[in-house]
Amino acid sequence: METLYIAATPSSPEVNFDFAQHQLSIRGESYPENAAAFYGDIIKRLREYLASCNKTSVNVDISLAYFNSSSTKMLFNIFEAFKNAVDAGNEIVLNWYHYEEDDTILEFGQELHVDFPEITFVDHPVKSA
Amino acid sequence: MNASRIIKDFGTFFEIACQQRVIFYYVGYFSQNVVAAMADAVRLQLEMSGVNGPTRRKLFSSFIEMAQNIIHYSADSLTPIDQDNHELRHGSVCISEKEGQYLLQCANPIDATVAEGLRERLQSLRSMTLEEIKQAYKESLRAEAPEGSKGAGLGFLTMARDSSEPLEFDFQPLEDHPDTVVFNLKATI
Repeated sequence: METLYIAATPSSPEVNFDFAQHQLSIRGESYPENAAAFYGDIIKRLREYLASCNKTSVNVDISLAYFNSSSTKMLFNIFEAFKNAVDAGNEIVLNWYHYEEDDTILEFGQELHVDFPEITFVDHPVKSA
Repeated sequence: MNASRIIKDFGTFFEIACQQRVIFYYVGYFSQNVVAAMADAVRLQLEMSGVNGPTRRKLFSSFIEMAQNIIHYSADSLTPIDQDNHELRHGSVCISEKEGQYLLQCANPIDATVAEGLRERLQSLRSMTLEEIKQAYKESLRAEAPEGSKGAGLGFLTMARDSSEPLEFDFQPLEDHPDTVVFNLKATI
C-alpha cells in the first residue's frame, strides 16, 4: 500500500503513514479550518490499511503541540479505528508525545487509554523548550 | 503632520489599551491564514509577557476556538454562507490582563434568530461545575456533532473547561440592522 504523506502547514500536522513499514506518524500543530475535511481522507485511507492488516504489529507516533476541539474529535475517530484493528487480531502501539506541563493533552491521552485499553498506550512526556 | 499631532490623534487609543492592559487586539476579517499568523503573534506575546506555561496553553486554546468561531459563524461574511472552507468573516478578539487573570474577549455579528439558541447553550454551561463541564465534554466527544456545527460542537465546552470563571456573554442589538445582533463572549483564564 502506498505511503500517505501530507506536509505540515502552520495549522495542520505532518502526516506520514508508511503503510508498508506499519509505521504511522502525525506531528505538529492541528487546528485546520475544517478538521473534518482535513482528516476525512486520512481516516478513510487508514481504515482501508487497517482492514488489510492481519496479525500485524503497527507502530503509531502522535506528537501534537496543540490540537483544537474539532481535531480532538477526529483523533477520537482515529483511535476508534485502531481499537477495531486490535479487535480484529492486530497489535497497535501508540506513542503519545506531549509537553510534560501540558495537562490538557496528557489528560486526553489518559482518557483515550481508559477508553481504548486494547491499544498499547505509551506516554512520552517531553520537556518544554 | 507633525509628531505632536500624531500623538494627539492616537494617544487616546494607546492610553486606553495601556489602561486595560491589552496584550493583543485584532479587529477585521478572519481567515485561516490570518488566524495562523495571529497564533504566532499571540504565542510570542504571551511568552514575552511572562505568562506561565499551563495558562499560556489554555489562553492559546481558547483564543483559537474564538477565532475559528468567527471564521465559521460571523454573520458578516465575504464568502458564500454555505461555503465551509476558505471562509472569510468579520469580528474582533482581545486578550488583556486584569488583577493577575487573563481575559479573552471576542465579538462578531450573528443572525438575531440564532441568538436564543446560543443563549440557552451558554446559560446552561454557566450553571455547570467544572466536573459537570468535563463530563459533558467527554459525552460530546463521543456523540455525533450537533446540527449546524462546522466543528465538533466542543468549542464552548473547551473554553468553559479552561476558564477559571463561568463564560460571560451578551447580545448587543444594532439599531440599523434589526436582523443582526453582536455576540460578545468573554472567558477568564
